[in-house]
Amino acid sequence: MVLKIFFPRCCNSADSGLLVGRWLPGQESAVVLAVIHYPFIPGQVKRYLSELQAQSQVELSVLGSWSMPKEGQEGMESFLKDLSTIFPQDRWLQLSRGAGRRGFACQLVERGGGSAQDGGDGGGDSDGVIFVHYDQRKVMLSQLHPPEGGGGANGTAEPSELRLVFQTVARSQPLFATDQYDDGPLKVTHWQSEGREASIIVELTKQASVPLCALLTWLLSLWTRLCRISLFNMWPVRFVTSKLSTCVQLSYRTDHLRTVSSPKKASDHMEFMRKANIFVSFFVDVALGLLLISWLYRANRISRLADILVPAADHVAKELQELLQWLMGAPAGLKMNRALDQVLGRFFLYHIHLWISYIHLMSPFIERILWYVGLSACLGLTFALSVLSDIVALLTFHIYCFYVYGARLYCLKIYGLSSLWRLFRGKKWNVLRQRVDSCSYDLDQLFIGTLLFTILLFLLPTTALYYLVFTLLRLVAVLFQGVIHLSVDFINSFPLFAMGLRLCRPYRLAEGVKFRVLSEEPGKPLHLMMEINPLKYSSVLQWYRTPTYSCYPKDSWVALCKKLFVGELIYPWKRKGTKTD
Amino acid sequence: MTEDEFTDINGKAISLQCQSHSNFCREFTVSAPKLSLRRIMVYTCSVWLVAYVVFFFTQNTAVLSSAIFITLVGMMLHIHFVKIDHETLLIVGSLGVQVSSSYASGRESTTFIEMSKIKDIVINEAIYMQRVIYSLCILLKDPSDPGAVSTVVPLFQSSKPRLNCLVKVYRSCQEILAQC
Amino acid sequence: MGADSGPGAPSAVPWRKVLYERQPFPDNYVDRRFLEELRRNVRVRHYRYWGVVREAGLVAQQLSCVAAFLTLWWYMDQSQLSPSTLLMAGLLFALLGYGLYEALGASRGGGRTRLADLQSAAIFLAFTFGFSPVLKTLTESVSTDTVYAMSAMMLLAHLVSFPYAQPSPPGSLSLNAALFASVCLASRLPGALHTFAMLTCALLVFALWPCLLHRLRDRAPWGFPWAAALVSLGSVAGLASLSPGGALLLAVALLTLTLLCPLLLVRLQRHKDNIHGPWDEAEIHEDLSHFLQ
Repeated sequence: MVLKIFFPRCCNSADSGLLVGRWLPGQESAVVLAVIHYPFIPGQVKRYLSELQAQSQVELSVLGSWSMPKEGQEGMESFLKDLSTIFPQDRWLQLSRGAGRRGFACQLVERGGGSAQDGGDGGGDSDGVIFVHYDQRKVMLSQLHPPEGGGGANGTAEPSELRLVFQTVARSQPLFATDQYDDGPLKVTHWQSEGREASIIVELTKQASVPLCALLTWLLSLWTRLCRISLFNMWPVRFVTSKLSTCVQLSYRTDHLRTVSSPKKASDHMEFMRKANIFVSFFVDVALGLLLISWLYRANRISRLADILVPAADHVAKELQELLQWLMGAPAGLKMNRALDQVLGRFFLYHIHLWISYIHLMSPFIERILWYVGLSACLGLTFALSVLSDIVALLTFHIYCFYVYGARLYCLKIYGLSSLWRLFRGKKWNVLRQRVDSCSYDLDQLFIGTLLFTILLFLLPTTALYYLVFTLLRLVAVLFQGVIHLSVDFINSFPLFAMGLRLCRPYRLAEGVKFRVLSEEPGKPLHLMMEINPLKYSSVLQWYRTPTYSCYPKDSWVALCKKLFVGELIYPWKRKGTKTD
Repeated sequence: MTEDEFTDINGKAISLQCQSHSNFCREFTVSAPKLSLRRIMVYTCSVWLVAYVVFFFTQNTAVLSSAIFITLVGMMLHIHFVKIDHETLLIVGSLGVQVSSSYASGRESTTFIEMSKIKDIVINEAIYMQRVIYSLCILLKDPSDPGAVSTVVPLFQSSKPRLNCLVKVYRSCQEILAQC
Repeated sequence: MGADSGPGAPSAVPWRKVLYERQPFPDNYVDRRFLEELRRNVRVRHYRYWGVVREAGLVAQQLSCVAAFLTLWWYMDQSQLSPSTLLMAGLLFALLGYGLYEALGASRGGGRTRLADLQSAAIFLAFTFGFSPVLKTLTESVSTDTVYAMSAMMLLAHLVSFPYAQPSPPGSLSLNAALFASVCLASRLPGALHTFAMLTCALLVFALWPCLLHRLRDRAPWGFPWAAALVSLGSVAGLASLSPGGALLLAVALLTLTLLCPLLLVRLQRHKDNIHGPWDEAEIHEDLSHFLQ
């Protein structure tokens, strides 16, 4: 078996002393965490280690000795050998570094058995040891993916060696708390921060965050109680709010804020990241919204927008009227039933007339409405987009109506034709056995059925054309709304914090590690450099995407086409009530 | 450190570099076939010809500049995301196997597989287009069932060496796997 | 049967046609007695010429019904026949036919009451009359050739799918096809009343007349050939007033159907050779109905 020693890079040139670390259970490997220098009192070292062990829950122990010969310290070698008797261990490591040499020498002393393995300058068997150098700070701060507890099934399995190394380093954070300016009883070499990143602002923020969170929680609970009033739970109100994307976005944001402002500390990495993601994306959202407001409310843009909006709606109505006139003639040379064509055309024209008068009735108030609605952008860009989506939905209500009429008529015809076609062939649909049975009809049933079948068949092209045209219009509107919903969903669920972390501190989110061969001198232990392999961007997105209300098409494209063909109403961008990951 | 010349499945020359760092640590580097100048020329010329034909009919110079832009961007994307320069397999006894492939632009993508997850390294047969080729594969253990294989990780995917090259790598790997 | 003279076939153990016993024969072994069970023409029927002619008369009369209907439509289309005349004639024929029907079916056993008949008639008339303006405009934007082609197809489907063995109640597909064709044709007529008259006529010809004919065949077998001949003669005469060539063609077709085809059937019956034996015949059970849905 090969002995692996994980050695921190910062201890490469430390003075001689004791190696503090942990033997990984079940593995032939040791993680060195720090070097304790002379002079020390063995009792103090033991007490210090047991204190740390209580704090960090890592079985810290003295692994062995480290010698770095310097001028004027000749008798050190023998002294270090004697130390193993003071700190009784099963195995005692003796690492030493020759002056001016790159490699280490290693000697493993089994208790009671003398020297078992010997690697170094003089030793012949140098293959038994691998030195893996690691950057203590990066390993301590990085999070190995998949995070623990993420996969429920793997939780019971034994953690792998690398994970143990990462855990050990991360948990022994209290060990690194002492910095070089501390005047403790022991002098220790390990990774040291260059002072806390403390500033008065950070401290103030920390102090202020607690009451702020409490206030936010209180406000949220007030808001929730307001929403629970029975007036808002009546059927029509609930129906309307579930359809308006602004309301959906509002409830979504409330959920977010509740998550962020909960006074509990995030229990694990994933929860912390989720909170941070929500927090950052909320801030970015609000900032973008404020930017939008500052652009919108300057230079009288609102009134200009309102001036554009009414003529635009008018223009759309005009175009629709022309389209209907075209349909009422002989569109594209198609021969349609003139009587039905005229009836349908006049019906729709009357609708447009109603719509235009409604718009004109509204036009004096539109600027005011826009002004107030624009204020919603201070809640975030997503709100502004949701409001835009709702406005578009309201402004294209006539198209929606046409679509519904056309679809219902077409659907009726298709269903009628399909059942009458069965009658035409002398069959019927057996509901009990879910199949088509033959059936003998009466004479009058046959007669009337055939009459209706003929009529429906000859009127089908007219209805189908109207249905087709209005479905296309509806699809354009739906596509526009869908793009808006997708962008809102994108802003809501994009893990901005995780992405930023990956961009600026790639080692914080580790997918694994990679090794580099450092030195290869024959007859010397192998030295490897362990570096952190950062998570791919796509994996970051996959791991940290905030779960959101899905607004992707519910059914596949084939099912959608089938629905379109049969004439069922489609709401492809309808949000589902359940959350999806 | 030894370097041998082999051919890939298409008959192009590739080289295998074996580096033995220690008894239980070896590194194999397979360099992929070089980017052929003729193909680049063909692609570039075809794009430019098409652009010129469009330009001839539309008399719009934006077409020409966009064609240049497209070829440049396409080449950059190609060397950054598609063209692999060499693939490295680093096997360290009792620690694990590291597979890395470095792209022509210098980008490297690395995966490290711990020894505890590895079941075996084998030479596998695979159907590729209309023929059967060999490839070196790492078999990963199923964490729930130690006897079963959960995933097969194929090695040297871009430079597909022939069997004689794979056998050499396979023997060395098995030596190390047998030691620990 | 090639394994009949197998080398190791001991005559001591007789071969049995069972699968549950292990026997010293190859799997595909069959006995010499295999062909003894062959029989020919088991359920063959021997036809008499005049009996076949009598049945073929039904086909001929259905064809002449279609011809008569088309003739009537042509006269209507040319406005040589006023709808009121057709309606009056239709009423007269309907009453006559109903009387005959009632007279023949003296022993009505749990059948339809007069009230139900009246109700059906009212529904027919009301619906046809109500829908005739709609039907009138139905095909006005469709080209005439398309309508003719559609009607021809549908009338052909009617003739093909007509249940000649049991004309009452009329088969759904045949009646529906005929009605579809008549609606298509009627919608080309100049007025709404024309349409109404034409549809009533179609109802009489395609729906009610087969019922009467069926009862006639059941109860008064002697009258059936006369009725069929009368209808055929009538349709040929009607067509002759339109186009003599067409009438000649129809007459030839009718004669072929009633006289020549039965003759052929009876003659060719001699050559029938249908074998039956102890083997499984390959039968194709293919459900073609899913093509129609």
